[in-house]
Amino acid sequence: MKMGEAKARQKSKAEREAEAEAVREASLATALPETNKGFKMMAKFGFKQGDTLGKAENARKEPIQVNVKEDRSGIGLESEKKRKLREAWDEAARVAKRSKEEEGDYLEDRKQQQKEKKMERDLDSAQRTAERLFEKEAEEMAGPSSEEKPLKDINVLWRIRARRRVEKEHDRRQRRELENSLASRLPTLAQDQEEDTDTKIAAGRDVAPFYTSLENDLEDEDPELAEFEALPVAERLQKLLVFLREQYKYCLYCGYQYPDANMEGCPGITEEDHD
Amino acid sequence: MASKRELTSEDGNSSTKRAKMENGNGKQDAGGNPYLAHWNDDSNSKPLRVDPNGTSGWSTLYGGIALTNNRIEANSADALYNFKRHATTSKQASAAEDGPLNPFTGKSLSNRYMGILKKRRDLPVHKQRDEFLKLYQESQILVFVGETGSGKTTQIPQFVLFDDMPHKSAQMVACTQPRRVAAMSVAQRVAEEMDVELGEEVGYSIRFEDKTGPNTMLKYMTDGMLLREAMHDNNLTRYSTIILDEAHERTLATDILMGLLKEVVLRRKDLKLIIMSATLDATKFQKYFHNAPLLAVPGRTHPVEIFYTPAPERDYVEASLRTVLQIHATEDEGDILLFLTGEEEIEDACRKINLEAQDLVREDAAGPLVVYPLYGTLPPAQQQKIFSPAPPPTRPGGRPGRKVIVSTNIAETSLTIDGIVYVVDPGFSKQKVYNPRIRVESLLVSPISKASAQQRAGRAGRTRPGKCFRLYTEQAFKKELIEQTYPEVLRSNLASTVLELKKLGVEDLVHFDLMDPPAPETLMRALEELNYLACLDDEGELTVLGSLASQFPLDPALAVMLITSPEFYCSNEILSLTALLSVPQIFVRPAANRKRADEMKDLFAHPDGDHLTMLNVYHAFKSEEAQANPKQWCHDHFLSYRALQQADNVRMQLKRIMEREELELMSTSFENKKYYENIRRALVAGFFMQVAKREGNGKTYTTVKDEQNVLLHPSTVLGQDSEWVVYNEFVLTTKNYIRTVTSVKAEWLLDIAPNYYDIASFKKGEIRTALQRVATKIQRKEQEKGKR
Repeated sequence: MKMGEAKARQKSKAEREAEAEAVREASLATALPETNKGFKMMAKFGFKQGDTLGKAENARKEPIQVNVKEDRSGIGLESEKKRKLREAWDEAARVAKRSKEEEGDYLEDRKQQQKEKKMERDLDSAQRTAERLFEKEAEEMAGPSSEEKPLKDINVLWRIRARRRVEKEHDRRQRRELENSLASRLPTLAQDQEEDTDTKIAAGRDVAPFYTSLENDLEDEDPELAEFEALPVAERLQKLLVFLREQYKYCLYCGYQYPDANMEGCPGITEEDHD
Repeated sequence: MASKRELTSEDGNSSTKRAKMENGNGKQDAGGNPYLAHWNDDSNSKPLRVDPNGTSGWSTLYGGIALTNNRIEANSADALYNFKRHATTSKQASAAEDGPLNPFTGKSLSNRYMGILKKRRDLPVHKQRDEFLKLYQESQILVFVGETGSGKTTQIPQFVLFDDMPHKSAQMVACTQPRRVAAMSVAQRVAEEMDVELGEEVGYSIRFEDKTGPNTMLKYMTDGMLLREAMHDNNLTRYSTIILDEAHERTLATDILMGLLKEVVLRRKDLKLIIMSATLDATKFQKYFHNAPLLAVPGRTHPVEIFYTPAPERDYVEASLRTVLQIHATEDEGDILLFLTGEEEIEDACRKINLEAQDLVREDAAGPLVVYPLYGTLPPAQQQKIFSPAPPPTRPGGRPGRKVIVSTNIAETSLTIDGIVYVVDPGFSKQKVYNPRIRVESLLVSPISKASAQQRAGRAGRTRPGKCFRLYTEQAFKKELIEQTYPEVLRSNLASTVLELKKLGVEDLVHFDLMDPPAPETLMRALEELNYLACLDDEGELTVLGSLASQFPLDPALAVMLITSPEFYCSNEILSLTALLSVPQIFVRPAANRKRADEMKDLFAHPDGDHLTMLNVYHAFKSEEAQANPKQWCHDHFLSYRALQQADNVRMQLKRIMEREELELMSTSFENKKYYENIRRALVAGFFMQVAKREGNGKTYTTVKDEQNVLLHPSTVLGQDSEWVVYNEFVLTTKNYIRTVTSVKAEWLLDIAPNYYDIASFKKGEIRTALQRVATKIQRKEQEKGKR
């Protein structure tokens, strides 16, 4: 019985560790007091609380922080986690705030949101159509198809589509590489060295380096696209709609490519015009 | 200026002796020594005086080669005769270098010398020899930037020799290195380049080892050694030029030396100072040294392409293994350098890479791969292996072989390995941290700095264009890494340094001009510790004990323990223990053989603690049985032969200092039951500030005064029933540990360190109550004694 009691009183290992850490952190955050013997010796030479040592500018006031690394997480993982957490928290806060607001407002907002979503969808199909029409035209003229073109040469109005495809391909490749362990899936035949790239890709043995520059900021890499994508959805949609009409005599809301520039029968550019 | 070099006795490491001799027979000897005759500044008098009978003790030392001396003199005078100090040109120097006789020794130059000379002249620094000389001659202080591979460490000191000719004024050129190994190996190399024997014209001096002689004119040394010399010779009068090499590494000693030399150059206008750095951040040095001129020599480097990972890595070790294998399977020929943080991690990684690589080879998916670990505590012979060439293909025309080196950050700057084309950088290294608030000094895995990352990347471009794979995102590189690694002075306990500075005569430590002054609390804590150790009085003045302690190249606590040990009748044992605590871990515990290693350790275990256990090991090591074949004996007992040998050497050096300072060496008889107790008490005399008390009956201990919760390190031999322990180290990992512990008694604490154990100064709590209880008990006992 007595032993049981003693055991119950004893803190668990995890508790002890947490406590030790808490004590450590608290001590680390506490500066040495002026009662410290060393302080007196330094005061003899004119040192006052808040001063720094030496003659350099911007000398340290505080000791360097002690950070104990507890796992093998790579550089940046911690802040990435924190960022995601913060985002989730912000989102939760936003939602909470919303629900408190008046219902009318809420409905209004919702309507707006739905409208925006609809516009996003329209934009997407407008882009798809523009790309398709463009490619059809290019094929007829026997020009290069956009597949082989560098991203930057694709019309900015639908360039994002091509970019997404590249990213998807890259993700897929990376996943594949991760899933198949290196040892088990690398080329096993001696003549592999002579194999051409196509064969390798076909055999799922594409060994292109998995480092690419895709994750660089869009801003640095493709400022034109970044600028376009930064426009409000309504504006982007507007640009697409106008482009389709002028270039291909096509109306998204009629879903029809008119034979001539008059586009007779189409009530107007916007969706409302088609109501 | 008394700048004659003293001829030293055989006891070359004793700097005080030298200092003492300065006004004595040193000058006289120099005059009588034909070797040194040409030191006389007045070279017109042609002092080719060879005393056939020899003077004083000289003939007995060098008489046997008196015949050659004639030649030496004549020839060395020829080669450098027309040289006007600080007005020479590279053309003159080249002519003298071409021989046929060695300008410094007069001996014929070997073929090997000629071969090396040709290669030396291809080094990047050589092209700027004239430019260097001009700046060197014009300015007292010079900042020299030479990237790795420029040849600065080996060539610049030689350039200086030809212009400074320190031997003519009985002085030397010093070139400091942050690491012992570098000091030794560079000295060896330069001795070969100059076609002289190591320890003669070119030598080195590192802690516990001095390889210089009366002829030495170029001395490579650790920065710590030069600092120690400065303690006895505040103006460093033995040197005409001081070169601080690898200053960018910002070691504690280099930083202190810079602060000191900044003052010394004002007092000694004849002293020249060269700060050498491998990074372009040298403007900071320039600014610090009153805008000294700067000369930069490009290294021989190739472009390095840098790759980042798309997303942060969940496990950097795993990611680095994956990357290494990926490189091996897909990239062109070229060796790989992977940076990890410590021995265990490195050994583990090597094993895993080996296994995976074998699979690859078996499937013929890649050529053969050899993996080498590299870290500081690895025996030199094994360190040397990293220089062996990559393995050949398994069959003719097969896939090329490759070597992988998995290293700590020692491969970042200090070691140059040719053939590296790929660098894998997870972005971490083990770095020392010190925090004065809880007095913890630990090695912690920390993110490296941007400067470090660049340095690592540069390692890929030594032989040809290379690639560096950073296992973090570019974003993380930009935002998370600090610009420069914190200099050591910001990450160290400064007790030792403060003692040295006091001994160096620096009164006002508050305003001592360091390049990066540490936080005031660091100095505060150091002063406090030294005061409790009675090395400084309450005014901050050096005490007799403090002055004595500064003679030892040891931490103040160790030095005080050693000095006071005769009072406990065990100075022989404490001397051994101090040596053992000054070398790397003596116990070997290979991952594959832990159980057996622990069993062997138990053979030596002393129930009262690790210090005593170490002492048992040392005594056993010195036994006749072990000495019959010490290497084998160590191997059988899972002990590090190297560490024990080193301890032996350290002990000898410390013993000399003790004898010089007239500290008595004695032992309590082993049969006396107080034998071990005396040692434990002596331990308290030095380490009373590193004591912990057990909490209740639990496993946890609390450190005295700082009140940190700690656990005994799992390696301890100590049982769980010790209420009070002294510890050698407070180690931070995911848990707080105290390592190398020995049990002591509270009575001793109160008795031996009453200032520190002034009960009134303790916070209310378990420790105070316990101490109070003991104090009352002692009082009562004394009262009883009084009554009787």
